[in-house]
Amino acid sequence: MINYIILVLSASTAVFTHLLHVRFKQGPVRASALLALVAGLIFHFFPTWLSADLSKHIPLVVIGASFIGMVSSDRLANILGIIIAGLLFGLIYAHTSRYFDGYGGALGTAACIAVLVCMAIPHLSSKRKLTVGILQLRRMLFNSKRKTNYRRRNQGM
Amino acid sequence: MKNGVHYSIIVLLFFIQALFLYSIFRENNRSYMVSITLLSLTILLLYTYMKVQLHEEHQEYESLKVALWVPIGAICSYYLNQVLQLGPVLAAALVGTIASFLPNLRPRSVYLQKLPVAIYCGAFVGMSSPKIAAGPGFILAASMFTAIFLIVSKSIMQGVGGKLGTLAFLGVTITYFLLYFFDGA
Repeated sequence: MINYIILVLSASTAVFTHLLHVRFKQGPVRASALLALVAGLIFHFFPTWLSADLSKHIPLVVIGASFIGMVSSDRLANILGIIIAGLLFGLIYAHTSRYFDGYGGALGTAACIAVLVCMAIPHLSSKRKLTVGILQLRRMLFNSKRKTNYRRRNQGM
Repeated sequence: MKNGVHYSIIVLLFFIQALFLYSIFRENNRSYMVSITLLSLTILLLYTYMKVQLHEEHQEYESLKVALWVPIGAICSYYLNQVLQLGPVLAAALVGTIASFLPNLRPRSVYLQKLPVAIYCGAFVGMSSPKIAAGPGFILAASMFTAIFLIVSKSIMQGVGGKLGTLAFLGVTITYFLLYFFDGA
């Protein structure tokens, strides 16, 4: 159950941070730090609000996933890419090694791996490729429609 | 020389990320699903490093005046985290939020625009737990390494989320292993 919460929370935090960063033009640092601040303050003042496990993990997941949302829009072009990177981060976080427990920057490393892996999927990382894909699909659809109309007209004649 | 530094930092970044994934594999190697997922992640990661345009072709260096803010961010975050016992998340988030408002002091200043990134990068170093970072000396040393990596990685992975965290992780890991090596020797 806790793993599902981590996955959903990391994907949604990554999307919220990206919206704050790109759409509301708050910049990457403020977008990430503000969300982490809200999560940190909630669990600092209400530590027993949720179970001990969740109170420990939620702030860490929020700050880690917020690093994904700091990505610039020419690196990960669409929200789907951000969601997939968020889910990947959640997956890495859920299985993260105890060996690197307490190392500063470990969450950032997990976030960076998630973003870089998503960038290997071309349709998530490049707006241009997606646009070319959509154009090709449109051309294919319209061409087939035109051909059908042409055939119908010829048959009617 | 510039190319040598450029490629060394790229190799170092890939190495530390591969090591991070390998440490997960070592603890979860009984599960086939986790092992296959980690192998796929490593292959895709390598593919991105080799095929995707991640880095600028010309090597650029960040200014030393900007990088000096990394240790300042790290010490502030360390103080909030370990001395005031606010915890790593609240400490880094507070430092990052305050840093993000610094450019508002003089919106036309190019220098002030660059500070939030350096301070937030330092704040990640300060998130280290007491069992890793025993005192401010460790944080200062780790943040110095991180500042050097920030200087030389200006044209590497620009705009990639998590880059600052990876630099901080590199700084902390190198400091920890150097201390371990010299203490052990």
